[in-house]
Amino acid sequence: MFPEVFETRPIRIWLDNGLEWIVINWGDSFEAAATPLLWLLNGIEGGLLTIPWWIIIGFFTVLAYLSTRKATLPIIVLVSMLFLGVMELWEDSIKTMALMIAATVTAIVFSLPTGIAMARSATLRKIMTPVLDLMQTMPSFVYLIPTVMIFGPGKIPALLATIVYAAPPLVRLTDLGIRLVDPQVMEASRAFGASPRQRLFGVQIPLALPTILAGINQTTMMALAMVVIASMIGAGGLGYQVLQGIGRLEVSRGVLAGLGIVVLAIVFDRITQSFGKQLEARIGVGRGRL
Amino acid sequence: MATKITKILAGAALIAGMAGFAPAAYAASCDTDKKIDIAEMSWPSAAALAHIHAKILDAGFGCNVEIVAGDTVPTSSSMLTKGRPAFAPELWTGSIVEIWAKGEADETVASLGAAISDGAVEGWWIPTYVAEANPDIKNVEDLVNHVELFQDPEDNSKGRIYSCPPGWACEITNSNLFKAYGLEDTFNLFSPGSGGNLDASIARAFVKQEPIAFYYWGPTSLMGKYDMTKLGMPTHDPEIYACNGTADCATPGKTDWPTPTVIKGVAAWLPKEAPAVAAYISKAALSNVEVSALLSWGSENKASAEETAENFLMTQEAVWSTWVDADTAAAVKASLN
Repeated sequence: MFPEVFETRPIRIWLDNGLEWIVINWGDSFEAAATPLLWLLNGIEGGLLTIPWWIIIGFFTVLAYLSTRKATLPIIVLVSMLFLGVMELWEDSIKTMALMIAATVTAIVFSLPTGIAMARSATLRKIMTPVLDLMQTMPSFVYLIPTVMIFGPGKIPALLATIVYAAPPLVRLTDLGIRLVDPQVMEASRAFGASPRQRLFGVQIPLALPTILAGINQTTMMALAMVVIASMIGAGGLGYQVLQGIGRLEVSRGVLAGLGIVVLAIVFDRITQSFGKQLEARIGVGRGRL
Repeated sequence: MATKITKILAGAALIAGMAGFAPAAYAASCDTDKKIDIAEMSWPSAAALAHIHAKILDAGFGCNVEIVAGDTVPTSSSMLTKGRPAFAPELWTGSIVEIWAKGEADETVASLGAAISDGAVEGWWIPTYVAEANPDIKNVEDLVNHVELFQDPEDNSKGRIYSCPPGWACEITNSNLFKAYGLEDTFNLFSPGSGGNLDASIARAFVKQEPIAFYYWGPTSLMGKYDMTKLGMPTHDPEIYACNGTADCATPGKTDWPTPTVIKGVAAWLPKEAPAVAAYISKAALSNVEVSALLSWGSENKASAEETAENFLMTQEAVWSTWVDADTAAAVKASLN
C-alpha cells in the first residue's frame, strides 16, 4: 500500500485539541453571534404554530391560485396540506417549514450578492469556486459535530448545516446567469449611457432572472433534502420522524414523513416557480417568447 | 507392465498435485461455507468487538466473514425474523428480554454467554462537578428542584434531559421513565438523533464545565474520560423494568436498570452448522476493565474500530489467546502486520 511518509497522529491530536480550545474560549462568542439566526427561526416557527391551521392552508391555496390563475395547483396544494394534517404530521411539518424558510431566506440574502460579485470579478470566482465545492461535497457530519460542540445541539447547527448545503447552487446559478447575459445587449446599454447600477438592476438581473429563479428553486429543494441530517443533530420536525422510522424499523412512519417532505417541496417549489414565471412575463423575458 | 507403472505414477502425480492444491491448513476449521455476517453496531465497544471477532474468525478459522452495519433494534429484529446477521457481538437485550427469550425457545436465535464478563452499567447521570456543587441532587426526583441548572436552551421554561437516539433500546426505556417520574411539566426529553450528537453534547458540557443531565452507559470511553455521577433510582424491579422496555407500556414505573444483560447473540443455525465457531464465541468475553482500556486506547489514538481491534490483537495476546487453541492463535498472529 501507500508508504508511510510521517506519523499523522500528532496532526490529528493537534486538530482535536484545537477544537476543544475553540469551544472553551470562543464558544460563547459564537453562540452570541448566532442568536439573530435563532430569533429568526424561533420567530417563524412560533408564528406559524400560533396561526390556526386553516388560515395557513387557506393562505397557501390562495397563493397557489394567484400564482397560476388556474385550478390545478390550488387543488393539489389544498389536498396535500390536508394530508399533512390528517396524518398527524402538522406540527412536525411546521417545524420543518420554519427551518426551510429560515434557511432559504438566509441563503438568498447571502448568495445573491455573492453570485453578482463573482460575476463581476474573475479573482473572486477563482477563490469562491473551491469554497463552494467544499460546501457542497464535504459530508455534513464532518462539520456538524464540531458545530454541535460550539453551538450546542438543536436548531442552530441544523440551520447552519442547511444553509451551507443549500446556498452554493444559488451562488453558482446567479453567477452563471449574469455572465451569460448577451454581451451585445450589455454593449447597447453602455452605448445608451446606463450607469453600472442601472446596467445591473435594469439589464443584467432581469435577463438573468430565469437562471436565478432556477437557483432559488434548487436552494429550496436542497434545504428540504437536509432535514433528515438536521434531525440527527436534534432539530426535530419531519426529518426526525423519518429517523425514527429508520431506527425503529417502522417503515410506515418513514414513508409518511417522507411523503410529507415531498408535499412541502411541491407546495413551495410550484408556487415560487409560478410567481417567477409571472415576473418574467411582466419584465418581458419569458421563456419561449422570442 | 509399463501401463501399470504408468498408472501408478499417474495416480501418485495426481495425488501430489491435489495435495498442492489443498487449502491452507487452518488450525480450527470453520465447518461451514455459509457467510457469517457479524453485526457492527454504532457505538465504539460493539464496533471494536465486531472487528476483533471478524479477524479471528477470518484468519484463525478460515470462515467466510462479512461485517454488516446494525443497531440493537434493527439487528435483533432481523435475527429473530430472518436469522441474519449470524452474530451480534454486543447485544443489549435489556428491553427485548421477552421476544429474545421467545426466539430462543423457537430456536431461531441462541445466546452464547455474556459479552462483558462482569456486567455493564446504564443510568441517568450528571457531571461530578455539578453533584459536588449541589449535594442535594442525589436522585432523579431531586432534578425538579433545579430546573434552572439544566435549562433547555431552546425552551427557557423547562429543563432538558438527554435521551438516546431512535433505534436504541434505551430510547423507549427513557421515555417511560420520564413519564413515570412525571417530568413532562418541568423537563424536555431531548432526542439527540444520533450517537455522535449525544457524545458531542455531553463532551461540550464537560469541556465548558456546564451542567447537563443525560442518559449514558458503560463501559465507554466517554465514561472513562469524564467524571460523572449516577442519579439514584429505586432498586431494579424486573416486572416494572420489562414494561418500561416496551413502547406501549400502559403504566410505566420507576426502577433502575439492572446490571444490563449484554450477550453474544447468534442465529440458531450457527451452533448447529459451525460448532467450532460457536465454541469460540462462547469463550470470547472481555471484562469491564479490558473494554475500557481498549476504548481509551482507541479514543486517545483517534483510531477506527478496525485499528482498535488490530491493536488489541497485537498487544493483548494474553487475553484473546485463551479463547482459541495455540495453532489458531498462531495463524491469527501471522495475519497481523
